[in-house]
Amino acid sequence: MSDADPVARADAAASSLAGAARLAFGYEPAEGGGQDRIRIPMGGNHRVGGLNDIQKARLIGAFLELKPERGERLVLLGVEVDGLGAAERAALRARIAFLPAAGGLISSLNAWENIVLPLGFHNPKRLPGTAAQVHDLLGRLGADPGNLLAKLPERMSRFEMKLTGYVRILLENPELVLIEDLFGGLGAGERVDAAGFPAAYQTRCPGGTMVQLESGPVPSTSEGEQHAS
Amino acid sequence: MIGVYREFEGCMRLAGHVLRRLRVLALPPVAEALTRQIYFTGASATAGIVLRGAFIGTLIIAYVIDVLEADSALAMKILIWVVLREVGPLIAAVLVIQRSGTAVATEIALMHISGEVASLRQMRVDPRDYLVVPRVVGIALSTAALTFYVQVIAVGGGMLLSAVTINASIGELASDFFQLASPLDFVYSTIKSLLFGVAIAVVCCYHGLHPPGVSINAVPKAAINAVTQSTLLVMLLNVVFAYLVFGQAFFGLVTAKL
Repeated sequence: MSDADPVARADAAASSLAGAARLAFGYEPAEGGGQDRIRIPMGGNHRVGGLNDIQKARLIGAFLELKPERGERLVLLGVEVDGLGAAERAALRARIAFLPAAGGLISSLNAWENIVLPLGFHNPKRLPGTAAQVHDLLGRLGADPGNLLAKLPERMSRFEMKLTGYVRILLENPELVLIEDLFGGLGAGERVDAAGFPAAYQTRCPGGTMVQLESGPVPSTSEGEQHAS
Repeated sequence: MIGVYREFEGCMRLAGHVLRRLRVLALPPVAEALTRQIYFTGASATAGIVLRGAFIGTLIIAYVIDVLEADSALAMKILIWVVLREVGPLIAAVLVIQRSGTAVATEIALMHISGEVASLRQMRVDPRDYLVVPRVVGIALSTAALTFYVQVIAVGGGMLLSAVTINASIGELASDFFQLASPLDFVYSTIKSLLFGVAIAVVCCYHGLHPPGVSINAVPKAAINAVTQSTLLVMLLNVVFAYLVFGQAFFGLVTAKL
């Protein structure tokens, strides 16, 4: 795990998750977890690296369930998760989204059906105007909508799976997005296209926070990107 | 024994969830899943199911006429009693278990093992709303429709066969049939087949959502459990219905006519 600002890191060590209200994503593992705490401010694109599979699974589990394990602390969008009631958890859960490494697609649905599935459940009134948005997003992110939208996941490349899952997330305008291994399993050309994901998110959800979880060490920082501890 | 109780309780909870959440059928993805289920169970299987049902129904009539040396009135009684009330719904249910029950249990168990059920949760979609509700409603409606097809074809086939075998005209047989049959027979078999469909779908969905393991081996085990238990449940429901109707049922409103 790396940190762009050593001063902030020292401050974080002293105050734990103090100032949680300003954090988009704060995570403090249990004692002896062998993992540093994570403090990510509101807004922008951030990368968290150096996690092993177990640490990553625990972090993702806590994020999705909004239930940190004993001894852990989790702050999402300025809210300390522990102690929230069921309704508050559900409301907070609706503001965040997660993109798994393989896109999290349903194998019996084509790309279009996968993309509109959650919107059809949570906001069906928005469905009629969705097709134009989906075409625009896919075009901007390097895919041919006419070709991709009819494909079943079994015929998609790794990049197309991630892209389909990503567009599905963007349609719901989440305030915080957690992405697992964005570049994992992609070819060189696909990596270039995937590098445009954060910009597409910031265009659609200005002020939103994107966190990329990387398995290995975090690569060198590109423009507008921050590393978090 | 505890396992059996847990599975029964799980199925009852799942059925309760379906009843409480019927309104999700109005959501576009669920409505689409319902249409697919009805097409798969009720439409694409119709020809095969109806043919097999008609064959079995006609065979029963032929056998009974031969053994009992039946006249036209007795042949029609047998048609109503055996084919219309009992064999029609039972054949449709068994064929639905064979075709759709196995497919549902296998598909959902595979989705569970491959992480797709978890993906639905990540999207804040309750897997029971998306996977179970449309399947239960679709299979129930399809079972009722298939039962009706089987009854019509089997009774028609039985009448034709009776006309040839016992020297009675089709008109005479049809007249006997409509004298003996009552709307209650159709209501009874429709309710029964709807219940059969619900039972089959709930049991198969339950075993799909709770496969006995997380490896690929759990998929056929889930399908076997689903088929075995749904067949047993259909037989049990059939016995209960037969008792209710041929004894005193609905507080004496329904009594046996034969």
